[in-house]
Amino acid sequence: MADTEFAPGTVARRDGILRPVFMLAAALVAVVALAACSSGPKTPFAIMAGSENTVLQPLVEQFCAERNMDCTFTYKGSLDIGLAIGSQEGADADAVWPASSVWLDLFDTGRTVKHATSIAQMPVILGVRRSKAEALGWVGHDVYMADILKAVENGNLTFLMTSATQSNSGASAYLAMLSAALGGPSAVIAPGDLDRSDVQQTVSALLSGVARSSGSSGWLADLYVASAKEGTRYDAMWNYEAVLKETNDQLRQMGGDLLYAIYPADGVAIADSPLGFIDRGRGDKVETFFTELVAYLQSLEVTRKIAATGRRIPLAAGGVTPAAEPDWNFDATRVVTAIRVPEPAVIRQALDLYQTALRKPSLTALCLDFSGSMEGDGETQLQTAMQFLFTPDEASRVLVQWSPKDRIIVLPFDSDVRRQIDIPGDTASQSGLLAQIGQERAGGGTNMYDCAETALKAMNATANLKDFLPAIVVMTDGRSDDAFNRFMETWRRANQKIPVFGITFGDADKSQLDRLAEATAGRVFNGQADLAGAFRSARGYN
Amino acid sequence: MAISRRAFGLGLLGASALATGGYLALSGRPEFRGLLGQSTKLFGFLGGEKQAFVEDVDVVNALKSRGIDLDARVAGSVEMVREPALLSQNPQFLWPSSAIMVDIARQSGVKIRRDQVVLNSPIVVYSWEPVVDGLKSSGLVTTGMDGHYELDLLSLLNAIIDQKNWSDLGVGTLYGRARIVSTDPNRSNSGFMFSGLVLSLLSGDVPDQTALDKFGERASEIFISMGLKSSSSGKLFDQYLAGGFGAEPMVVGYENQLVEWILADPQRWQRIVDAKGPKPVILYPRPTAYSAHPLITIDPESDQLLEAMLSDQLQELAWTKHGFRGPLGSVTGAANSAIAGLLPAEVSAVLPIPSANVMLRFLERLAGHEASLLG
Repeated sequence: MADTEFAPGTVARRDGILRPVFMLAAALVAVVALAACSSGPKTPFAIMAGSENTVLQPLVEQFCAERNMDCTFTYKGSLDIGLAIGSQEGADADAVWPASSVWLDLFDTGRTVKHATSIAQMPVILGVRRSKAEALGWVGHDVYMADILKAVENGNLTFLMTSATQSNSGASAYLAMLSAALGGPSAVIAPGDLDRSDVQQTVSALLSGVARSSGSSGWLADLYVASAKEGTRYDAMWNYEAVLKETNDQLRQMGGDLLYAIYPADGVAIADSPLGFIDRGRGDKVETFFTELVAYLQSLEVTRKIAATGRRIPLAAGGVTPAAEPDWNFDATRVVTAIRVPEPAVIRQALDLYQTALRKPSLTALCLDFSGSMEGDGETQLQTAMQFLFTPDEASRVLVQWSPKDRIIVLPFDSDVRRQIDIPGDTASQSGLLAQIGQERAGGGTNMYDCAETALKAMNATANLKDFLPAIVVMTDGRSDDAFNRFMETWRRANQKIPVFGITFGDADKSQLDRLAEATAGRVFNGQADLAGAFRSARGYN
Repeated sequence: MAISRRAFGLGLLGASALATGGYLALSGRPEFRGLLGQSTKLFGFLGGEKQAFVEDVDVVNALKSRGIDLDARVAGSVEMVREPALLSQNPQFLWPSSAIMVDIARQSGVKIRRDQVVLNSPIVVYSWEPVVDGLKSSGLVTTGMDGHYELDLLSLLNAIIDQKNWSDLGVGTLYGRARIVSTDPNRSNSGFMFSGLVLSLLSGDVPDQTALDKFGERASEIFISMGLKSSSSGKLFDQYLAGGFGAEPMVVGYENQLVEWILADPQRWQRIVDAKGPKPVILYPRPTAYSAHPLITIDPESDQLLEAMLSDQLQELAWTKHGFRGPLGSVTGAANSAIAGLLPAEVSAVLPIPSANVMLRFLERLAGHEASLLG
């Protein structure tokens, strides 16, 4: 409507002889436009968003329905959103909604994102099981990163935290750790600081507290709740204040400990949730819809609803704040000390440092399906995916490169495990591994359970298993004879609960992988369209 | 009703003449070009602080009636006149926020047809009541003759360089080191202007090359302490409002930005004034600098945009709805009552910005600090 010459808003300002003509024309346009708004095929509108926005999707959809727009949400990690924006072909969406504008600053060098507007503020904080927080003496006191470090080093605290290279909440927690390790409160991280061995040691020690990681903040919160239902209550979780509120809402219904909010007094990173438009040449109507959507999200009525989800909207809502919940130390009116976010080049350097040196090392077993059905294109795609995964230059482009401290076990399988290749994650070992995988040819039947069990036994035999983040990744294109129960018996007997991730390909029976992933707190990724991408996503969880 | 053939013919002729005459009369009036279906789409870059102005429905319609359909993308003032990634998109106009950008655009090889300052706004510092209360107690902020807050910018800069904490400056409610944040001087004008101010203040005069050699390093420290700097003034101001007191205690911006935000929704502003929480406050650095907004035309088609922007109609919209002063700091029309008393009648202590050559060298120095991060 706004792109027509005779929009109703212009009528009042035209004068003299032209006025009646415009009045009539405007009335006609208004009638036609109204008819267009309420019927006819819906106009598609694609939104690429961070998983923390899931809770706001219904609010957006309500507005889309009113405007006869068909809004679809695709949830991606911050790095993926950034990479999509920065890619040659641009993001495949009309709007992007990452957790933080840091990712736009890092990747949107061509200024393709227009009208980026912060919808809410979400500090990334540490939620600690209340009884644990009490035992640590943290309830009702200022807690510094040094206190968290001490608890980790004494073996009194582990936590869930997303991958700093794949997801904004993990990156935020990591940057807060780096800032604190510098010693100066709210000091900005300068490049030389990252080379300091004391800083590296401190942050590495903090990250040794990671019990589980993931590429998605929303998934991590779901993992916390699902595990609590199964009787495993993790000590703590780094996540957005608002996501902790969602988690606590669920935990409250289940009974038992809530996650007590710890705002490290040396400063935290605050996500600003920018919603931005991507002009794909679809015309003014789509862009106008976007600006109206933003205005709707900033209206008093809607900001009240957004604030009710635990998001901070300091001014726009004019004093609207979510109600305080003292049982988990939540009070959105409390001033949070923000760390100063470093320059993009420093962030990039810090992320590389995380991936190659400071994160908790991973112990990863890859079960690769080389059964007969993989012959031809499947085999080629698998080899290409392995080339990507074990070529540091390629993997580092999307920040999933291995570090020499990692341990990798590769198990090509058909109806049996063909062999077991066990290497550290240094460059030379990776290239040797690729040569060995390159010799594998498709043939034989499919038994993924057998491979998963072999991987499990190999991992459990690893010395210092607790020093690693372990994961089994099973990639398959077929259906195996059901040996789920036998696998789970072995899994339950093991000292450490190792998650199994699935990657589907070809005619894979997804239900078998789903069941394995669900029972072991893993996740299944679809490798159908992009097998290398699926392996990459799985790496983000390990 | 009967009508003679002659009368009908004359009537037709008359109507036709009227239509032709009307067409000719209208086509001679730029504000009606759009009504005659003569619409031109103009693509270009502008500083983020002018985004709300060009997206204002009244401005859009005023331009449309003149046959101008604006496709304006937000980019930092400095980068729009220098960045190959932006200039290679063949913008038809550039609308940065400092007169000095015209020189820099010319040095970058931009084929300038015309350039003229169409709007003006002084550089200010945005803060929050609790911060200002603290800074008043330590003497860094004083109340001027006309009731507006004045900031002793030089003392604040020295405190930041000396790594003072907020509590040292009387602001007990904030933890950690005192800081002020501007946009990236290498990409956006408010940061650029601020860097000129910082350099001038620290060197005690309008700096030349010698002063830059002497004081450049100290001035750079202010910008290093900022960390990630936004690429546009509009984005930074949004960050300030969205982030609030804890996340963004002090940012550099243009005077008109708060005005514009208030006028966009006066009821929202009233709710904030009435509510308990911290409220935004404008501090006028003493001295400050004036930011002029020159419109640079590259494509002949965009000359009409320059003419439109200088018209009384758009100048009045610029002041009354968006708080921009006119080409000479003058104002057109009466400001809305919602902002009465918010702005001083005049900003007297104004410092000239160093020459383009000194500024470019200083920018290189600041960029060098960033480049060394990549090293």
